[in-house]
Amino acid sequence: MSILSMCQWLQDTDIGTSIRESVWIFPIIESTHVLALSISVGLLLVSDLRLMGYIMKRRPVSEVYEQIKPWMFTGFSIMTITGIFLFWCQAAKAYNSIFFKTKVILLIVAAFNAIAFERGIYRKVDKWDNALVPPMEARVAAWASLVLWAAIITCGRSMAYTLD
Amino acid sequence: MPALIPFFQWCDNTMIAKAIRSWQMAFPIIENFHLLALTVLLGSLVVLVLRQFGLIYKAQPIWEVATALRPWNHWSLAVMLTSGTLLFLSEAMKCYDNTSFRVKMLFLFLALLFQFTIYNRTVASQDKVAPIGGKVAAAVALCLWFGVGLAGRAIGFLG
Repeated sequence: MSILSMCQWLQDTDIGTSIRESVWIFPIIESTHVLALSISVGLLLVSDLRLMGYIMKRRPVSEVYEQIKPWMFTGFSIMTITGIFLFWCQAAKAYNSIFFKTKVILLIVAAFNAIAFERGIYRKVDKWDNALVPPMEARVAAWASLVLWAAIITCGRSMAYTLD
Repeated sequence: MPALIPFFQWCDNTMIAKAIRSWQMAFPIIENFHLLALTVLLGSLVVLVLRQFGLIYKAQPIWEVATALRPWNHWSLAVMLTSGTLLFLSEAMKCYDNTSFRVKMLFLFLALLFQFTIYNRTVASQDKVAPIGGKVAAAVALCLWFGVGLAGRAIGFLG
């Protein structure tokens, strides 16, 4: 079974079909997906800006990052759940979209970037917690995160133009 | 409001409107900037509101969080208004007949009015714990700005 035929099968399931054909469910899921950007990527922006040494410089990095983290994860959970349903109801169309494929690759890269940051330089945060400008490795991770997420948002919006 | 039709027609016929319509990629590109700026605008607001509710950054006075986020709030608002105006011009006549667009403009007017008259004063406080009035203002600001976003998304879905 090819990936495309699996996507077609997923799209044709009862759940996929009913979301796609509903008057309200699809717009509600899609709007939630878009507005939850502010509590996922919007909050990520604030912690990344601290890591770059642009805002809240007088506050410890770990304070700015850790306190915002549970909210950020709430935002990313909403994004993931609504994103899965959006994919579910148009899986085959999404599979054929270059923007969707790019988005998935960028999501994986962003995840690796976050893991590399957590397991790498952030383990030694005690040593640079109060630094006005964090070390290069942390700043690079923050820049990469913002650039990747801007690209992910752009791919997400652009794929919607090309689906129908 | 039929009295406004000539204004919408004029918008629809401006050079900028025609230029955007003449290049198919223009609208999607502008809308992507609109969406990226939305992330920054609503994101910075959410952080400030969480602070006012005492859920994060309790060690920082409220004004300090507001001051750190203000430039981001302002430039993202500028990008939103600019890109939004361009998107509007390019399909002004469609917007005239669109109920969601009217609702969005109402929310936008209220959100801007509320932010620059009342809300910005509540975040200027030296307090570490926001008074009840500040919390109410935070909730109202959040609802108004998310209302703008939701009505904006509905322009495409509902008409």
